[in-house]
Amino acid sequence: MEKELWITKIFNDQLADPANSLLGLAGMHAEKRPWADFVTMQILVAAIIVVLFAILRPRLNVDKPGKLQHCFEVIFDFVHGQADEQIGHDGPKYIAFCGTLFIFILFMNLIGIVPGLESPTMTPSVPAGCAIATFLYYNIVGIAAVGPLKYAGHFVGPVPLMAPLMVPIEIASHLGRPLSLTIRLFANMFAGEKVTMVFMGLVALGVPALFMGLHVFVGILQAYVFMVLTMMYVGAGVAQEH
Amino acid sequence: MTKKLFLLLALMFLASSILCAAPGTPGNPTDNGHWVPISAGFSMAIASGLCGLAQSKAIASSVEGMARNPGAAGAIRLALILGLIFIESLSLYTLVIVFAKVS
Repeated sequence: MEKELWITKIFNDQLADPANSLLGLAGMHAEKRPWADFVTMQILVAAIIVVLFAILRPRLNVDKPGKLQHCFEVIFDFVHGQADEQIGHDGPKYIAFCGTLFIFILFMNLIGIVPGLESPTMTPSVPAGCAIATFLYYNIVGIAAVGPLKYAGHFVGPVPLMAPLMVPIEIASHLGRPLSLTIRLFANMFAGEKVTMVFMGLVALGVPALFMGLHVFVGILQAYVFMVLTMMYVGAGVAQEH
Repeated sequence: MTKKLFLLLALMFLASSILCAAPGTPGNPTDNGHWVPISAGFSMAIASGLCGLAQSKAIASSVEGMARNPGAAGAIRLALILGLIFIESLSLYTLVIVFAKVS
């Protein structure tokens, strides 16, 4: 019997029946304790983000920006700059998805540091969900921007004569993108936690704290890398020759 | 020429011990999965070692670039961190396989 977080315990004690009816809708049979740790942690992270932005919105002011506004202006300028650099001219159209992905993955990675809570990105399902969302997004956005024929033309490669060679390679590389996104994020978060736990069993308190600091740094950078790769894929998809 | 020939013959003689690993021979260690933890250790060590070499190349060239052109240090530092992240994740792919295979 695996240990649950206290949040998951609350969800399982109070809300087991709605979860089981949802599972029934999806065709899966009911379980005794249907809420998993990563599901409740994702809900908590989403709730925190919604509350944070709900606090931010009324405090936005053009003449007298406050501290929270300054923080988010830094984040927004950063995301906007990356979008301009990676996607080019229409970059800002795609900030909504990429920025949301960045903030969501960032908060999910960082919430594992709080004792009693766990990063939902430590289970492979959560990065897989983000990667599949990215995969669908960049394909749909690419088809919407340049049309399905021209988008399929990306797969053929530079010279149409090389199509029988290029198409399988391009399809394999496109399928490899969500896989590598998933494993990169999952492995970094999982390894960071495992390394901290292992060192906590071996050494006194100071050294595991160093590894935890590295884990925080790696978590922030992995969120950034996920966002930058999403933008690169979107940029490759919507690229048009002028 | 003779020395090389004898060296080759000696290596082939030693390599014949791989016949012990054929499935079904008594005492074959791979049948119970005994080699899984050992090969997991070796593969992780190789992955980490090669990751260390690759990251050292990245750091060395970026530090040299920052020394030659201190004005571009910011951009070089950004590219360095990004490159280190990608190289690190390559060795973590091996860790994922280790955790998947070692029960």
